[in-house]
Amino acid sequence: MRTGGFEARVSLGNGCRGENSQLPRRRLVLPPPRCKAAGMASAQPARTYSYFSQPRALPARRAYRGPAEQPEEPRRYANLMYDRRVVRGSTYALPQLPWGPQPDPLEVQRQEEERRKARARKRAKEHLQTRTPEPVEGRKHIDVQTELYLEELGDRIIEVDVECQTDAFLDRPPTPLFIPAKTGRDAATQIQEGELFDFDIEVKPMLEVLVGKTIEQALLEVMEEEELANLRAHQYAFEELRNAELAEVQRLEEQERRHREEKERRKRQQAQVLQKQKETSEKIAARAFAQCYLADLIPSVFSSLRESGYFYDPVERDIEMDFLPWLMEDVEKTLEKKILGRTMLDSLIRVVVEKRLDAFDQANTSQAKVSGHTEVFGQADRASSQVSSRQTSVQLNMSHQTETQEPETKC
Amino acid sequence: MDATARPLRVPPEMGPYAEKHGLFQLLQNMVEKLLIHKPDDPIEFMITHLKQDNDDGKVYGKCCNSDVLQLIPRICIVGPPASGKTTIAMWLCKQLDAIRVSPETLLLEELLELTKEARAYKEREQEIPNALWTNLIQERLSNVDCIKRGWVLEGFPENREQAWMLQSAGIAPRHVVVLYAPDVVLIERNLGKRVDPFTEEVYHTTFDWPSDPLVQQRLVEPEGVSEQETSKKLLDYHRNFPGIFQTFHKILKSINADQPCADVFSQALAYVQTRHRSAAPFTPRILFCGPPGSGKSLQAALIAQKYSIVNICCGQLLKEAVADKTKLGELVKPYFDNGCPVPDNIVLKILADRLNRLDCMTSGWVLHGFPRDLDQAEQLERIRMIPNRVFFLNLPYESILERLAQRRIDPATGERYHITYKPAPSPDIQARLRQNPKDLEGKIEMHLEIYYRNIKDLEEFYENAFSVNADQDPHVVFEYIESCIIKPLPQKS
Repeated sequence: MRTGGFEARVSLGNGCRGENSQLPRRRLVLPPPRCKAAGMASAQPARTYSYFSQPRALPARRAYRGPAEQPEEPRRYANLMYDRRVVRGSTYALPQLPWGPQPDPLEVQRQEEERRKARARKRAKEHLQTRTPEPVEGRKHIDVQTELYLEELGDRIIEVDVECQTDAFLDRPPTPLFIPAKTGRDAATQIQEGELFDFDIEVKPMLEVLVGKTIEQALLEVMEEEELANLRAHQYAFEELRNAELAEVQRLEEQERRHREEKERRKRQQAQVLQKQKETSEKIAARAFAQCYLADLIPSVFSSLRESGYFYDPVERDIEMDFLPWLMEDVEKTLEKKILGRTMLDSLIRVVVEKRLDAFDQANTSQAKVSGHTEVFGQADRASSQVSSRQTSVQLNMSHQTETQEPETKC
Repeated sequence: MDATARPLRVPPEMGPYAEKHGLFQLLQNMVEKLLIHKPDDPIEFMITHLKQDNDDGKVYGKCCNSDVLQLIPRICIVGPPASGKTTIAMWLCKQLDAIRVSPETLLLEELLELTKEARAYKEREQEIPNALWTNLIQERLSNVDCIKRGWVLEGFPENREQAWMLQSAGIAPRHVVVLYAPDVVLIERNLGKRVDPFTEEVYHTTFDWPSDPLVQQRLVEPEGVSEQETSKKLLDYHRNFPGIFQTFHKILKSINADQPCADVFSQALAYVQTRHRSAAPFTPRILFCGPPGSGKSLQAALIAQKYSIVNICCGQLLKEAVADKTKLGELVKPYFDNGCPVPDNIVLKILADRLNRLDCMTSGWVLHGFPRDLDQAEQLERIRMIPNRVFFLNLPYESILERLAQRRIDPATGERYHITYKPAPSPDIQARLRQNPKDLEGKIEMHLEIYYRNIKDLEEFYENAFSVNADQDPHVVFEYIESCIIKPLPQKS
């Protein structure tokens, strides 16, 4: 067991390297590291420290602590009172965890100094501590008890079990009635009939009052009833009047409503009539206007159709389509006949002229007169005598004349 | 309803509505179609026809608030060979988004059964009979796309018989464009004709050479362009042309084809977009706007006299109201006395009263001196007094000054004289002459300033207005105004 003087501090657990590095891993939730420097404003989530471990039976322990090295054995339990991780001492100083991420150099220095001092102390103590000298070679030191009575040194602790048992519970009895002690003296007395008062005399005023009051009450009640009856009658009368008036009012209202509806109906009717009249007048106006406007329609239609040629004069058309072509054909035929006649005449003339020319040529030698022959042939001869006596010139003239006639007739 | 107690009034909106939507023309077209097709169920036919909605086309113009009815093109282009019919037809189709129908395209149509017959004839080198042509064209033109978009028939009635067959089938073109040019020019032109086989467009070596080199390479010379063939065709054309001319002479316009293509095209386009005179009853509602001294009252009086419509001068109206001591006149009087302009709402009320009277509604009106600025014009529109002809008389500043500053009046006889244009006959009358204080230069300038400030807004408001040069002789101006009134409103494309 440790005595005071050492300050137990809460250890960091897993990552720490120190005296508690041999402790088995337990689940620990770390508190946020609080640094001394004000500049470090890192607010880590505040997690509360909690610790738990499975309940374990305490193992048997030896009565006496072994030599100084033995506390190095792994401890499987921890007593809160002796836990080094609990902060002891003054908490007014700023808390600082020994194994923080950035150990303050001052702290580090201080801890190192402490360690150095501890070591120095230990060394000093050891120095001062007198120990038994080492055994001589070939010999061994053995511990011996030198007291008067030998003591059995055993590791086992003497344990004694003691038991005790209470009686079974009984029901609590009911509380007895509390009767206080009697104190004082008893005394008694008795009043006989007629000693105190006379009932009939005494009762009179009371009776009077009672009866009086009752009668009064009755009177009042009757009066009240009468009054109520009066009121009711009054009310009834009033209601009658009122009903009558209401009926009258309703009648008047009905009358008014009927009048109004009648008026509305009449107005609507009138409006309809007016509307009809207006429409009729518009229709009539439109009809009159249309009649007037289109008075000239039919004649104009016919005249335009006639102009566009749809209505044509059938006689004229007939004349143009049938009569005139027939006429033309007939004229052509007649002309052709005339032309034929003329060509025949031309050819006759030609033949005769040829013969005559031949005869003339023959007779030329005998110097017959040419001019006497030509008288017989009239126009044709004159034409031939104007030009030379060549046959083609006669024909050309003839055909020219007939040809000029043709286009004139064909037109 | 008692006609004597409450006389029947035709609402004034009906007239402008009928005019705006061309109801007369609509109904006329419908009845014409009825007569041509003679359907068994006339009502159903009429409903379908109205739903087709293609008489004058309800293509709403983008340029103005009111609807501008655009004509659906039904055009016929006729002319000698090489006059440029195909080119003009193609350009017109592109401009007006119409379908081009020509004998060549009809032969290439795949969807019509009659084409096969026609092609059979052609293969046999026979003349395709006119009846077949007519049926073919009728079938093509009754296609939905022709009905909706209009058609340009090119080179079809070549003689009178074909024209008659077209007419009997009920196909009546609205405009017929005839191109003419001297024969020599045509023969020469035909020699330079080239055709693009892919797009069927006609080009010319000199006048209309394509810019795309690809197209240039593709061009081929069409057949039948030699001199003899061209002259033969020209002879045929000249023989048949008078027949066509007579058949279509009312809707025909001849354009000289011996000009550059663009000129011909612009003339054709302008003609094609004019409307013919319709027989719809027309109540003129005329508005004259112009600077003081431009002759508004004079022209208004002339028009009113000639066409017997009501002449309304705004200032005169107000003075009459004051003189008659009517309720509104009482309101107007203090303004007159002070010389301030009368507020718009009173003027509007007086004007509305006058314009809503029966004589104005039935015979029409001519108004001058009223909307002087945009607010007044908008208010006029709000009371639904919309004019259908608006004239802006333009006059340069010096002329205005000249006309106004030299006005004189003879106080004794009441005759109005002008120093330059109508001087007083004798010197003693001249001595008497006085000038109206409102004709002083300062006043004139003030009036003119107000006028010039407001005129732009008014011109924007009345988009369909006519601009007249008022610096001419009054009769010239009168004739021009008359022609604008009589002719249908020109279309804006």
